[in-house]
Amino acid sequence: MGIFDVYLLEALINGVLLGGVLALLSLGLNLVFGVIDVVWICYAELIMLGMYAMYFLSRVYHAPMVLAAAICIVTVGVLGVLLHVVVIAPLLGAAPINQLLATGGVLFFLQSAATILFGIEFKNLGVRLPVLKVAGMFISYARLLAFGAALIGMVLVYLFLRRTYTGTAIRAIAQDRQIMTLMGVDSRRIYVITSALGGGLAGLAACLLVLQYDVHPFVGLTFGPITFLICVLGGLGNFGGGFVAAFVFAEIISVGGLYLDLEWGYVFAFAFFIAMMFVRPQGLLARRS
Amino acid sequence: MVLSRLSRVLGPLIVTALVLSASPPGAVDAQGKKLKIGVVYDYTGPLAGGGSELQALGAKIMIDHFIKKGGVEGYQIEALYADAQSKPEVAINEAVRLIEQEKVDMLLGFYSSAQCVPAAARIEQLKKFMWITTCISSAVLENRHLKYVFRAQPSGRQFGLMSTDFLAQNAKTKLGKDPKDLRVAIIHEDGAYGVDVSKGNEEGARKAGFNIVLKEGYAATAPDLASLVTKLKRARPDVILHTGYNPDITLFLRQARELGLRFSALIGHGAGYGVYDKLKESLGKDVNYFFNVDPISIWLTNEKALKPGLAGMIKMVGDEYAKARPGTTIRSAHVGMAASNTYVFMTEVLPRAVKKYGGVDADALRKAALDVDLPEGGTMLGFGVKFEGEGAPMAGQNDRAFPVIVQYVDDTAHVVWPKGQQQREPVLPLPDASPYAAQ
Repeated sequence: MGIFDVYLLEALINGVLLGGVLALLSLGLNLVFGVIDVVWICYAELIMLGMYAMYFLSRVYHAPMVLAAAICIVTVGVLGVLLHVVVIAPLLGAAPINQLLATGGVLFFLQSAATILFGIEFKNLGVRLPVLKVAGMFISYARLLAFGAALIGMVLVYLFLRRTYTGTAIRAIAQDRQIMTLMGVDSRRIYVITSALGGGLAGLAACLLVLQYDVHPFVGLTFGPITFLICVLGGLGNFGGGFVAAFVFAEIISVGGLYLDLEWGYVFAFAFFIAMMFVRPQGLLARRS
Repeated sequence: MVLSRLSRVLGPLIVTALVLSASPPGAVDAQGKKLKIGVVYDYTGPLAGGGSELQALGAKIMIDHFIKKGGVEGYQIEALYADAQSKPEVAINEAVRLIEQEKVDMLLGFYSSAQCVPAAARIEQLKKFMWITTCISSAVLENRHLKYVFRAQPSGRQFGLMSTDFLAQNAKTKLGKDPKDLRVAIIHEDGAYGVDVSKGNEEGARKAGFNIVLKEGYAATAPDLASLVTKLKRARPDVILHTGYNPDITLFLRQARELGLRFSALIGHGAGYGVYDKLKESLGKDVNYFFNVDPISIWLTNEKALKPGLAGMIKMVGDEYAKARPGTTIRSAHVGMAASNTYVFMTEVLPRAVKKYGGVDADALRKAALDVDLPEGGTMLGFGVKFEGEGAPMAGQNDRAFPVIVQYVDDTAHVVWPKGQQQREPVLPLPDASPYAAQ
């Protein structure tokens, strides 16, 4: 067995595609933290609700996939706003640990509510996308879609933040929330818009993840911790950092898992994370002060 | 005045006569007695949908049946159900809570081997009787010399050996390969259950002389198994022996299809592979011709070969299952497994403990369990029951239990191995119509 063979290339491509999934997951969480300065620990549970929305719209109500996806994105966006208005807003002035515990409480609430409402059975969209074969290698369509969506999502969020008045206000609030409020920016409105955007990105992730994974009330446990780690590795609130961190993490998992036991891929990825916390605690792309 | 005297004399006599006539001499002691059973399964968390909740349903159907009958040997049955939440630490805490606070007489159930291994030690420490209906890892009992823990199920090692025996006997005739040329990959979730089955697979494969091209474990909660699939493609196995829960099984098979993994046969080993409806929902007709090793589904047993009376119980369990889960395509073996193992306890262990050993304490139940001697055909699962006694390496294990291999063909499960139970010839290798079929 040669070290450099077609399987290594396939593992590298798989790593890039997995990175796309992880980047998509981290996008919304980073946005919310960057602007509101609160970590939505329950972010993966919002994705879980989005996956259920897709399942019911598509399988039970037979809505076309594009329409189902649009409704799903809007629904989770609204849930993001609700989360902000009901849980986050009253705690904005509280200690960070209180905010963290509150969103942690929402995590358990959503898991339990989903168990009661939808049951514990694994549900599946039943969509099997065609297999893409390129130069003797196989590429997952679902992963390719997620990768494309992550790239487009990243560009759109960037353009929104750079080219629109609201985006500029969001960036300004992210830089200094006290001063901007004194200068007349309505911070409450900006927070609501950011929460809607963060929720919408969770909805977009849900639309794409449901093509690859079964949905059940605890599916968030599969993605939640790794998404959080990627955001921290990239620097909480740093979109570019999160994006790069997702691909670095995914490649370590993918290539490490090819040459050693699969579990070693995760061991190396987490070891890398710990090492980077010493070397660059502000994140991979943080500017040195 | 006369009436008052008469009532004073006759009153006690009448009461005494009523008491004596109401209950036969032997049953006087048992009046008002109760057996409290703590039932532990996963009703939430990933394991619930992976089979645990179906096992819980099977146990409940049987417990309710005996409650409706008015109990066993004068003992009323009371069941207290606890949710292990798919977490070993919760399983232990719930077991201890049931024993110390709810004062249960014994514990029944347990789906996951990862829970069983530590829970068994704790329950033994508290000197309570534990009747395992499901978890199969040998590590639960092997060389632990537990006195109060009993398992009617076959062990994980037996699961692993069954699939390699099947392959050894069919390699040449069906796959056209000598055993030494058969390329076998063993993949498994890395908990006590997967590790134990994989050890059985490896032992059997080495004995048969197979070429083991890959043996690897993975976390059942892993978000991505693409590297494992790529590695399998590089190893080019003829047969994949897989042990996993759900949703890791469906994730693996979905990624295997997307990444073009090809093989001649896939043999699953219980848990997620035992929940056909979920496999079908996720994978559609791709699940056709997969094999699964499990105790036989009670609805597939040859009823004529079973002890008289068991056919009626199988029908009762099936009817209750249909009421609880209408629209099920293939009735899951999980339900029948827990129902049968609970039935063995209710009909063989409990009556003997009460009648022969005078009660339902852990020692009486233990002695009664060790006395059970059912020949093949003595349970709904087709096997007999005889537990290995004190001093044996697998003390508490049912020595007469064995799994079978079923093959899913067009929404029907057929027993294909062992020969004695075979309902049809196995389809091997995978037909060309399967997206996994080797080119």
